[in-house]
Amino acid sequence: MIIKKKLHLYTKNKLLEMTNLEVIKFKIKEKNQSHFDKLNENLFHLGEEYTFLADNFFEKYFKYLEINNLKLDFSIDCYLHMIDDMLEERFNFIRTGNYSNTSFEEVEKRIYGNPNIMDYHMHGLVLAQFLWFDQYERISFFVKNLKKYFLNKKYYLEIGGGHGLYINEAVNLLPLKTQFDLVDISQSSINLAVGILNNTSINYFLKDIFDFTETNKYDFITMGEVLEHVEKPLELLQKAASLLNENGVFYLTTPVNAPMIDHIYLFNNVDEIKNLIKLSGFEIIEDCTVISEKMTPAQAAKFKVPVMYAAFLKKLIKTK
Amino acid sequence: MSANRQEILKKVNDVFIEVVDNEEVVFDETTQASDIDEWDSLTHIQFVVGIEKFFKIRFTSKEIQSWNNVGEMISAISEKI
Repeated sequence: MIIKKKLHLYTKNKLLEMTNLEVIKFKIKEKNQSHFDKLNENLFHLGEEYTFLADNFFEKYFKYLEINNLKLDFSIDCYLHMIDDMLEERFNFIRTGNYSNTSFEEVEKRIYGNPNIMDYHMHGLVLAQFLWFDQYERISFFVKNLKKYFLNKKYYLEIGGGHGLYINEAVNLLPLKTQFDLVDISQSSINLAVGILNNTSINYFLKDIFDFTETNKYDFITMGEVLEHVEKPLELLQKAASLLNENGVFYLTTPVNAPMIDHIYLFNNVDEIKNLIKLSGFEIIEDCTVISEKMTPAQAAKFKVPVMYAAFLKKLIKTK
Repeated sequence: MSANRQEILKKVNDVFIEVVDNEEVVFDETTQASDIDEWDSLTHIQFVVGIEKFFKIRFTSKEIQSWNNVGEMISAISEKI
């Protein structure tokens, strides 16, 4: 069932009832026709399940905007601002072969410590979750498989929850008795997640994950799009391993060749990610790779386009 | 380095051919991105960076976004070499 947004738009004297997703796309069309065309082309093949997930999440997001006296136009502007940033970063990446930031300290100073930038970047990312088909493929992979990896389990942790999309789906899918914890280093991210999700069953921790020590180990850990934000991803994976039960499952996503204003660590290909996973003491249960443009893997490698990688992992069994 | 517009056009065309791997693409000064199938947002970045590398110049984002056709791109190159 697709939720219809109760927003009526009069266009050429016709009353249109649009889904939340359609409202967002309509607004983008008004401001950037060529980007709208590209989105339409990329999202064309996605079905009703996609619209359902997107509209449910955007319903919450729209409420958040309303409560905070923000207009959807503000969000669209944030998203388009982020797209401009990305273009700038992509030019730099193609010129130099590197991301523009190489140290966490640099990004913390420029981005995380700057509420204005964090604000538009985070709002932009909220829309991107369902406007970019590769982002949707990752959340879809998570939603389709989460329950089977959470049988008879209780403790769920999310590292770097961002806007809260993953934990929102986890709360929807997992038993009520589940303990949901979310750790994020950014106050802006936590504020946004708290505001959008409006769910008291989630415990939020404003902390650097390396300073996070809980008495319980977790049965399931989600870490979506965090690895590329640190200088030493191996240490972060090892930290996640230290927080995970021996028979726990770890859901990890991270991109290849994806320059953004706050990305530090560059993975040049999926094999580099897989090698790091192995090195950190995990093994892959199942994974999923999505090229962010409609092209072959050879073309993606040639043009260095972003490739999204997602995997369910378990700890390697140590042999004596 | 000095070059006339025709020479620049030839080189710009060569760079594009290298990016898209299609020797049949022929530019003139009125050519626009919409005239060429392979000219999309991805190839555009590779194309512009290829031109920057060849001519040893650097464009600003504002300049890149201001071009409406190959002729305007050639004018921007001429001003920098």
